[in-house]
Amino acid sequence: MTGLFDEVFLAALLFGAVTAAVPLLLAGLGEQMSEKAGVLNIGIEGMMILGAYLGFLGAYYSGSLWLGFLAGALGGMAVAAVMALLCVRLGLNQIVIGIALTLGLEGLTALLHHFQFSRSYPRLPAADKTAIPLLADIPVLGPALFQHHLVVYFAVALVFVMIYIYRRTQLGLNLQAAGDKPAALDVAGIDVIRTRTIAVLTTGALAGLGGAYLANVGAGIFIPFITNGAGFLGIVLAMLARGRPLWVLFGALLFGVCLSLTTAMQVAGINMPTDIIQMLPFLAVMIMLVLFGRKASLPAALGMPYERGAR
Amino acid sequence: MLNKLKYSVSALLLSSFMLSGAYAADVKSIAILTPEEGTDYGWNQQGVEAAKAAAKATGVEVILAQGLGYGDVRPTLRELAEEGASLLIAHASGYNTSAPEIAKELNVPVAIVDTPDALTKGLIADYTLSGHEGAYLAGRLAAKMTRTKAVGIVVSGEPPSWNSQSAAFAEGVKAENPEVKITYAVIGPAAYSDAAGGKRVTESVIASGADIIFGQGNGSSFGMLQAVETTKATDGGKVYFIDVIGNKSPIDKGFLLSSVVWDITPVYTAMINDLKADTFGTKSYAIGVKDDSVKLLKTPAIPDNVWSEVQAVRDDIVSGKIKVEPIFEATAVRKLMTNVAE
Repeated sequence: MTGLFDEVFLAALLFGAVTAAVPLLLAGLGEQMSEKAGVLNIGIEGMMILGAYLGFLGAYYSGSLWLGFLAGALGGMAVAAVMALLCVRLGLNQIVIGIALTLGLEGLTALLHHFQFSRSYPRLPAADKTAIPLLADIPVLGPALFQHHLVVYFAVALVFVMIYIYRRTQLGLNLQAAGDKPAALDVAGIDVIRTRTIAVLTTGALAGLGGAYLANVGAGIFIPFITNGAGFLGIVLAMLARGRPLWVLFGALLFGVCLSLTTAMQVAGINMPTDIIQMLPFLAVMIMLVLFGRKASLPAALGMPYERGAR
Repeated sequence: MLNKLKYSVSALLLSSFMLSGAYAADVKSIAILTPEEGTDYGWNQQGVEAAKAAAKATGVEVILAQGLGYGDVRPTLRELAEEGASLLIAHASGYNTSAPEIAKELNVPVAIVDTPDALTKGLIADYTLSGHEGAYLAGRLAAKMTRTKAVGIVVSGEPPSWNSQSAAFAEGVKAENPEVKITYAVIGPAAYSDAAGGKRVTESVIASGADIIFGQGNGSSFGMLQAVETTKATDGGKVYFIDVIGNKSPIDKGFLLSSVVWDITPVYTAMINDLKADTFGTKSYAIGVKDDSVKLLKTPAIPDNVWSEVQAVRDDIVSGKIKVEPIFEATAVRKLMTNVAE
């Protein structure tokens, strides 16, 4: 029996933490962009589940994980397009539409899965890993943090891309204004609807990619309801991070590490109710983000549809 | 006055007799509600197939409501009651609150799981089943087959029926070989469809040294299976999986060691008969190795001599020579795991 502090076991725990964090990170970054632009995207769970389904479908039939990820991202975008049409263009209630999309897509994907895979339950082969030279050779941390699928590195890099966009580009300013003072943005000659639509579509693509990663790499299979609330966790991360992409990364990683910690505690045989052990990830993320992210504020026009000239 | 009293008593007796007769004759259809589709080679499939078989055996119709998820099923329960189902089988521990509510609201009998205290004559029956005898056999099998002398238990929740199997598996392992270490990990409080969590936790348990995984998880068990198929044991060899409730042989890629297979047909049949006899909700139901409603699955991965030894243990359970008591409480199970994991 391997000891708790054995290199293989620790590496497996940390590797699992990163794998669990990536879908949350992608969903959280996506949600953050929507919220910055003033759209409370409750439908992100639905975008993730369709992304997971189409991502698995794409990877399974093409034999390429990359095509799977592309299919997942496009699937998420398709749902986002509906959300953008109904909530951004037509100004319908964002919460109601978001919940409806989620429930509808959970049912739809379960139904499609039933017809296609419910007798065969196909599984994908293990995903290829890309080792980062030198770093991958570090004991424990190397195999845990620097030997992952390329999507993992992409997700982390995306955090810094987002920071750059929000701080240094016109698009970032437009997004911020669309969420804080959409009328001012409109007066400045920037199309608020278009800006918000871009944000929602980006959210869909990222959530879909997160769902595809969850199914293709995280689980290696698609089953109904596989996202298991990951989209809602993404919303929580985005809201607690309050506009800061780095805090989404931090929150997602903290959540993943705490998940692995719960496994470690159980494997160690710590005699504590598992319900309490499993509250740890949620508690830790909330405490940390509330403590350190409380200075930032949510956009003033969050959740409010924009109508030119309306008071 | 006396005549009036006689008439009243007679009328009361006659109407009671007619009502009870009508009640018995009214069992025309049953309905089963499952959180996932009845094609999962596990809990949902065994429930659906058992409902069909029991309905056929008793000459009633069956209505299937599958893939309902783990949320609020009150609308579905009401709809099925309005369709005339004489019995609603709420086949998920997550339905334990809503089903009794609907039973009382619409006066329609329901069967629920994991709530033995809820028995109500004529209205609520509980079928907290336990395959603990089969799980004990699985533990004996695992202890005989492990190369690393370490086995793991991964569960996606801690409902009573799974607790009893986890505990019995551990007892079986220790009875066979006290030197074998047992690792126990719960994916989440109700992570029944968390396939990614199943894979992640199982990979960690394998990394801790286990080369046989006893998995209980509904949809999440496919993640466990995926982990077993794509992860090598710490000795570099193959990891095997022992499943519960259903038979995943048709989708096995050579990693399925066995399964504690349940047949719930006798339970549902007894429920329908109890409804007809007006004794519904008055007793608990059980499955076991004696009538093969619980049995260990034989796969090509089990050598014949090992299988014979395990079957001998089964015979000892049937004869009463070995007694396997169910442990339903999660706290008791965890205590047991702590002890055996030391």
